[in-house]
Amino acid sequence: MAQVIVVTSGKGGVGKTTSSAAFATGLAQAGKKTVVIDFDVGLRNLDLIMGVERRVVFDIVNVITGEAKLNQALIRDKRVDTLSILPASQTRDKDALTKEGVANIIEELSKDFDYILCDSPAGIEKGALLALYFADQAIVVTNPEVSSVRDSDRILGVLQSKSKRAEEKRDPVKEHLIVTRYAPNRVEKGEMLKLEDIREILAIPLLGVIPESESVLKASNTGNPVILDDGSTAGQAYKDAVARFLGEDRPHRFIDPEKRGFLSRLFGGRAA
Amino acid sequence: MPAPAASPRLEPFRLRGANFNLLVLRLLDPRIEVIVPAIADQFRRAPGFLRFAPLVIGLDDLQAAPQDIDFAGLAAELRRIEITPIGTVGGTPELRAAAQGAGLPPLRAAGGKDEEVPMAPPPAATAPAGPPPAPPLPPGTARPTMVIDHPVRAGQRIWAQGADLIINSTVNPGAEVIADGNLHVYGNLRGRAIAGGADNTEARVFALNFDPELVSIAGYYAVREGLTDAPIGKTVQVRLIGENMRFDRLG
Repeated sequence: MAQVIVVTSGKGGVGKTTSSAAFATGLAQAGKKTVVIDFDVGLRNLDLIMGVERRVVFDIVNVITGEAKLNQALIRDKRVDTLSILPASQTRDKDALTKEGVANIIEELSKDFDYILCDSPAGIEKGALLALYFADQAIVVTNPEVSSVRDSDRILGVLQSKSKRAEEKRDPVKEHLIVTRYAPNRVEKGEMLKLEDIREILAIPLLGVIPESESVLKASNTGNPVILDDGSTAGQAYKDAVARFLGEDRPHRFIDPEKRGFLSRLFGGRAA
Repeated sequence: MPAPAASPRLEPFRLRGANFNLLVLRLLDPRIEVIVPAIADQFRRAPGFLRFAPLVIGLDDLQAAPQDIDFAGLAAELRRIEITPIGTVGGTPELRAAAQGAGLPPLRAAGGKDEEVPMAPPPAATAPAGPPPAPPLPPGTARPTMVIDHPVRAGQRIWAQGADLIINSTVNPGAEVIADGNLHVYGNLRGRAIAGGADNTEARVFALNFDPELVSIAGYYAVREGLTDAPIGKTVQVRLIGENMRFDRLG
């Protein structure tokens, strides 16, 4: 049976889609057959970040309404051959998703894949609820910022009460925390929440800390998941997170402020 | 939270005895047209109070013949104002029988406070053999308690109705914990804490790490901004002294 993983946050713009793309790519690189589904119907982004937007023919809504077969809508990644993408529809809205339709898609995908990643839309409405409903595990993406932490806390409560596992009183959804856009220097100055404070409030295991990095924006705009960029600290941090998810024990990096040398202080250089 | 997997059972049900804490509505007047408006008026002042709560009708104080009381009508009227009568307690056997005829079976109070069903005349009070029985505990001394073992997260609301509430974890900002009785938080209290829900001015709030958004006892409340003098971040007990909330450090 495939593991269904929802990537969620409550708040928008914290890096759900970036993390979904990176994580799915990382799992596929580790040889796991992985499919990533964009649940953000109406505001589809995942295909852009994965660089497959020019290959979209059918989407998840077409599959649910029976206009296309699942295999016709799945897009094979050209960089990692164990990775597939199921795009969202741009022209419909979230009401086009139904619980039965999503259940059928997940059941069918379970036969062929090891991991099914669900990239959740922001909010706690229908689209987000459907994305997390079938989850076995959840990756909660949070920024070091109070409103983001509050919304993640809220979504953890929703996971505990509204997921299929909660409804069927099975083992709870396994929760993981990813903190993105973490800038240790700004934390030191008191401009960002400390990692310990975030962990204390959310009280779930930490999977990874992704440092603030300009390479993330570049990766998004060129359609290459940042995890493929070996020179990027964010990419390396995602690689660590995937390894930890698969059971490896790796120390957390990029959480302490850099010791800045004389030259970089002089010229105001920034971390790549 | 871990939930046991549902295992298939062979039998379709099990019968078990259990004790319940119920409210008794002691009737002092046999006339429905007097009772029901009085109750409705009382509960209008506290909306939501007793809504759909099970209630036992006490017949001890009633000096009336069974034919003078329309039990079926009374039950129907109570249900109309969202109170659920489930049976009767006390009263004469004739009254109990009349109520049973209207679907309100007689209940027997636990703890030996209720009289036995009179099968024979009570034994004459001659030569009491052995020590007298211990006086029964006053009813309602054992307050039920609700225990929560997981963090209460933003947007979650936990209400211990008619009970004390113990949270064995943190109450996060944006969460709300409400107890009609006392409220204990053995973790960080960062959300809204409300004790003494049903105007219980004796209720208290205890927190291992006191840093709430709002704290309230029996309707008196203080928001975080007004808590400048309270020992924030410490182990604290909150109680009402008159109309003032008092914050004492514990330990």
